[in-house]
Amino acid sequence: MAAIFVLTTTFFVATVLSIFIYSSGQVIRYFETRPQIIAFLKDDTTESDITILEAKLASDARLKNVSYISKEKALEIYKEATSENPLLSELVSPSIFPASLEFSVNDLTDAESVIDEVKKESIVEEVGFTASLGGESSLTDVVGRLRKVTYYIRVGGSVFVGFLLGTSLLVILIIIGMRITARRGEIEILDLIGATPGFIRSPILIEAVLYALIGVFIGWLSSFILILYSTPTLIRYFGDIPVLPSNTLRLLIILLIILGSEVLIGIVLSLTGSILAVSRARRKK
Amino acid sequence: MLKLEKVSKSFGDVKAVEDITFEVENGEFVFITGASGAGKTTVIKLILREYLPDTGQIIIDGEDITKAKDKEIPKIRQQIGVVFQDFKVLSERTLRENIEVALAVAKVPQNEWKERVNHVLKLVGLMERGNFFPSQLAGGELQRTALARALVINPKVILADEPTGNLDWETADSIMDLFDKINKEGKTIIMATHHKGIIDKMKKRVIEIEKGKIVKDSGKKESHKEKPKEEVAEEK
Repeated sequence: MAAIFVLTTTFFVATVLSIFIYSSGQVIRYFETRPQIIAFLKDDTTESDITILEAKLASDARLKNVSYISKEKALEIYKEATSENPLLSELVSPSIFPASLEFSVNDLTDAESVIDEVKKESIVEEVGFTASLGGESSLTDVVGRLRKVTYYIRVGGSVFVGFLLGTSLLVILIIIGMRITARRGEIEILDLIGATPGFIRSPILIEAVLYALIGVFIGWLSSFILILYSTPTLIRYFGDIPVLPSNTLRLLIILLIILGSEVLIGIVLSLTGSILAVSRARRKK
Repeated sequence: MLKLEKVSKSFGDVKAVEDITFEVENGEFVFITGASGAGKTTVIKLILREYLPDTGQIIIDGEDITKAKDKEIPKIRQQIGVVFQDFKVLSERTLRENIEVALAVAKVPQNEWKERVNHVLKLVGLMERGNFFPSQLAGGELQRTALARALVINPKVILADEPTGNLDWETADSIMDLFDKINKEGKTIIMATHHKGIIDKMKKRVIEIEKGKIVKDSGKKESHKEKPKEEVAEEK
């Protein structure tokens, strides 16, 4: 029971942490792939000038996700954003929105130089950043902080899971050691009648693997229920940020991949623990 | 079939056995006797490769088992049936399962188990008790179980270390009758015992050990192979 409990705790934490790491990665990716720079175009800009600048930006290796937002499209976006207050959208016409070219930088350190270059383009009126994030320094700061937090979660989480795995290994070692002591008489008899070490060891190894599999399954199932239960709330809370896949099948696939990895780790852990316990017992003999 | 040649074994400064030399032929019944601590059990354990001698050779069927590697030891033991004073039966398994364990260890195909277990159970007179657990059996029955387990793998030789040590005289006598019966069927038996009454009654070859050395070997006496057929028939 103790072994199963410790293994359950370990794999519960490991599953939750894996999902947490996945979610923080998703958050970073979300912010990184949002259009970070918006080049507002002058009203008298011709279609051909826009196409030339769009092609130029698209071919720049520092940039990605280049897209043209026409006046009409801008109005549509505005209407969508103010859908809760139709009066606001009724007051505006496409003419008040400037057309723009939106794009992201692959590396935020390039943002300043890119902005300076784009500002020099004759058809560009003004260059701005995603308004909600409040400009270049704020965006760099947010993503930088997210990266840092994710890094700490990964390192801290891995150290914690490593610590739990170490504890599980020790518990398996002690419990299997106790089982060997309890079965010493049986082991001695089997040894005397010519049982091979493999024959003697196999029930002990099977027992340890069973502990691990039960621990993995209960730990994984508990976190699976917790994640399923909290997914709708998380998705609602984070809105556009895809912290968890809204598609249940995709979420299930991720959790099954985690389960597969944990089964593998559990088997390696239990086999290592029991082999160490058996060899300790043989040395004591 | 078994030969010990100048075998010595020490534990620290204590010489457990020294320069032991004897040979046992197929079908022989040999008693190894001596006072407590004389070295009888050490000889049994050396033959079973529980101990490795410091010097000398132990040859079973032409093979020097002292040269066997650790991984070859199970194979050696699978050719030897063992019976101990404390029975050494698995307490959580039924009598039948105790015997089946020996077959599983020797990798005997499972479809042969039932027939072989029934045969030895009948031989030791425990056919009706196959599904009993050791805690439900008397000492003599446990020793019969141990003997059945030793016999079921059809060993080349049976080693018995004080098999009557924990039994009353009457039960010991019946166990010895069983050993005698098995020997008459052609099995080689080497038995360590200090039970003088049994040795005197059985009239078999006796190797006497004192302080680790052989002080007397009565030579081959009345083993089944040596006896005229009429005599064996009479005994039956």
